[in-house]
Amino acid sequence: MRAFRVPRLLVLALLFLPLLAVRADDAARGKLVRAILSEDAAEQVSLVRELVAADDPLVLQSLSAWRLGNLYLWSPTDGTPAFPFVLDGAADTDGKSGALRISDGTALKDASGQPVRVVVSELTVADTSAKLRKAIKTVLDLRAVGDPDVRVRIDAIVKLGQEQEAGYLPDLERRLAIEKEPTVRRSLAEAIAFTKLGGDDRAARIAAVKSLSDLRAINSLAYLRKLRGAPATVADAELAKAVEAALAVLDDYERWGNLFGTAFRGFSLAAVLLVASLGLAITFGLMGIINMAHGELIMVGAYTAYVVQNLFRTWFGTTGAGPDLYFVAALPASFVAAAAVGLVLERGIIRFLYRRPLESMLATWGVSLVLQQVFRHIFGAANVQVGSPSWLSGSYVVSDVLLAYNRIFVIGFAFAIVGLTYLLMTRTSLGLQIRAVMQNRAMASALGVRTERVNMMTFAFGSGLAGMAGCCLSQIGNVGPGLGQNYVVDCFMIVVLGGVGSLPGTVSASLGVGVTDQILQPWLGAVMGKITVLAGIILFLQWRPAGLFASRGRGLEG
Amino acid sequence: MKSSDYISAPPGTGNPARREPWVVAFIAVLGLVVLPLMNGAVPEGSAFHLSTFQLGVFGKYLCYAVLALGVNLLWGQTGILSLGQCLFFALGGYALGMHLMLMIGKLGQYHADIPDFMVFLEFPKRYPSSGGLPPHWIPFRNPLFAMVAVVAVPAIVGAAFGWLAFRSRIKGVYFSILSQALTYAATLLFFRNDFTFGGNNGLTDFKTVLGYDVNLPSTKRALYIASAVLLLLVYGFCRWLTTTKFGLIQRAIRDSENRVLFSGYATAHFKLFVFVMAAVIAGLGGALYVPQVGIINPSDMGTDKSLEAVVWCAVGGRGSIVGPILGAIGVNALKSYATHSYAEQWPYFLGILFILVTVFLPDGLVGIPARIRSIASRLRPAAQPTEPTPPAAP
Repeated sequence: MRAFRVPRLLVLALLFLPLLAVRADDAARGKLVRAILSEDAAEQVSLVRELVAADDPLVLQSLSAWRLGNLYLWSPTDGTPAFPFVLDGAADTDGKSGALRISDGTALKDASGQPVRVVVSELTVADTSAKLRKAIKTVLDLRAVGDPDVRVRIDAIVKLGQEQEAGYLPDLERRLAIEKEPTVRRSLAEAIAFTKLGGDDRAARIAAVKSLSDLRAINSLAYLRKLRGAPATVADAELAKAVEAALAVLDDYERWGNLFGTAFRGFSLAAVLLVASLGLAITFGLMGIINMAHGELIMVGAYTAYVVQNLFRTWFGTTGAGPDLYFVAALPASFVAAAAVGLVLERGIIRFLYRRPLESMLATWGVSLVLQQVFRHIFGAANVQVGSPSWLSGSYVVSDVLLAYNRIFVIGFAFAIVGLTYLLMTRTSLGLQIRAVMQNRAMASALGVRTERVNMMTFAFGSGLAGMAGCCLSQIGNVGPGLGQNYVVDCFMIVVLGGVGSLPGTVSASLGVGVTDQILQPWLGAVMGKITVLAGIILFLQWRPAGLFASRGRGLEG
Repeated sequence: MKSSDYISAPPGTGNPARREPWVVAFIAVLGLVVLPLMNGAVPEGSAFHLSTFQLGVFGKYLCYAVLALGVNLLWGQTGILSLGQCLFFALGGYALGMHLMLMIGKLGQYHADIPDFMVFLEFPKRYPSSGGLPPHWIPFRNPLFAMVAVVAVPAIVGAAFGWLAFRSRIKGVYFSILSQALTYAATLLFFRNDFTFGGNNGLTDFKTVLGYDVNLPSTKRALYIASAVLLLLVYGFCRWLTTTKFGLIQRAIRDSENRVLFSGYATAHFKLFVFVMAAVIAGLGGALYVPQVGIINPSDMGTDKSLEAVVWCAVGGRGSIVGPILGAIGVNALKSYATHSYAEQWPYFLGILFILVTVFLPDGLVGIPARIRSIASRLRPAAQPTEPTPPAAP
């Protein structure tokens, strides 16, 4: 029998809950009105603090309006006491807006019962003081601890924790008891420990240091370092020992985190370089064409992604499938677009210059000028916006290191296209013909290989790879008419460093340059890091003039 | 051995070479005497008056022509295509610009002893012992030192880079790519504010040159004449070099470096010397460019500018000596006109010009008569079949 009674009571309680809530809200509104109208600053602050428990959206809206100076007082002409109100909705074309009474949430009406329209500049603002605004801020932050959005929750918790205000502890602990999300639980535990560390209770402080170290809370590193030097800590041997131990753990953790982060960034830069220069490794490395328009072929791919994105938006709408799936179509489209441009380039200009490499360099530079201007004409000189599909935005967090999804994608993409190129070169008849023609054109031609056609296909393939690179790079950088110029010097350096004509060379050169650059960057800054890498490459070529993986040939004019 | 037979014939040009001295003398008189007179002696209202602004523009073209001669000495005559000539041009310009900056004195915006950019970049905090002036700037107060630096800085940088590159036998397109990387790195460096050369804005707002007001027409005229004299001297030097045995080896290196190497010549040394000479020529051009244009900044040293200089050379006709001068002046005159009236279309024009010249006119404008002759002789039913002229080797 008793087993049934409890649920019945619960059901009863649940039935009455809405009623209770309404009453509570009325109380909250009353408190807020009292606080606003009160003349006593201390009473105002304490009343506002009590509003932490309120659930009424109007109360919360009014609180933030009050803090920002958007809450007004209405003094009725009939002599009844003044009351506070907030604006309802945005101002109309006359600059007038509706008004909501805070006490009951109804629209403000004049004597004839018509809703009043008010002009902001003619209203009396409800006063606040700095202290009051801070109290309101705290209340709102504490409210945010219960926000349905995980991100907002964590932000609020971190902010509250940093204040080290013992008064928040009950709220934080209450939340910890019901919180399910592990990331939020971790932030809560960290905030609680950090708050306790700032308190007076010696045992609690030592425990807090211990738990901060268990939580690997690197945000508290700076505070702990300061604490280590403080006289109070030095005097307290046990605390000092705990702090030392925690610092050792956290320093170690940070070091590994940095190392991991640098490695990830290095790999990701390496992938970017590899993706950008793989096409060049084909056209320059295998065919020996100095294609200064390589950067512009990358740009063609990036702009193709932009066009495909806009087409998908018009066909499938601006939410859901449109922005999410366009990228899947943009990759092959950019390959085709750039390959087509490459084909025209090869047939129109480059085939006349196979025996004059320096001239092919100059002519393709002319092409790059023209292409840049064409895109400037069509799309404007400013950068265009290429959005990321939802599955490529955001990042994955591993031990406090952010791994952005688009970077992970570039790394995966690099693996994929290198694999593809390798298979094409070694497992298809086209690859066999390409290698034959590149090794000995005359002999291949004598054996019946249509060398002209192979040249055409190879150049188009290399250009297509550049286009795909552009599509991929549109996810991590700006897309504008100058896009190609940012990559072309790097690409040439990678191919020369790797050894012209060697795919493994290109891969290892990208890795080397990418990782070195990221290791140097924290010390030297981005620009000096890059300069150092360039200088390093020039010096490296002294040691190995033909690059990392020199192709062995007996010809003097290799 | 009558080596003079080979030596005196410049490459790629037959008959016109005999006419060249007269053409050059005519142009020299026009440029050195007539134009300054049209500016200084002809009254302003006259139809023959040349404004000081126009003269300054011509002066700028002459500096570009000096740069183009340097490119030609390397590319046209030795077969080394450097994409970093503008780096040396800018280095020469910066060296003189530093002196001009220091000569501003208290006339700057901040009325300080040091150049303006050093004031707002808070250099006095970084270099308190010298009142904010970085130590390497101090000797540039002396105009003689600055002039030595105009020659020495490009020469030293050129020698260091050239030595590294030629020693390890980096040649052809690899050399071009490497010189491009060097220039790119240098540009990045000069764009930095803490590199003490004015960062993004470069050096500007000059007031005096050797004590004369830079804005006076007479100063402008003197600078113009100096540029013309420099161009004439460099032209004479390049021309003389082609008649020497050194010039012969240069051309031999261009046409087949390995054969020269196997004949016992240390080609790397020859190439290094030519590279340093070209750097010095570019530096001199840059030094005269700066006071006439009034500004030098890192965008003047970029690889795209170097490539543009290569275009001038290619359009005029590499290998010949007047070609690059014609190319530099012609393309820039066209550019001034086009960027004024057709700014949008200029890159198309430059790009297409470049493609057409490299594909169809490897010898440039000065090669047109020879080309017409060769086509004409092919069309004519000749008694003995003549071989069509093969295109020049890269």
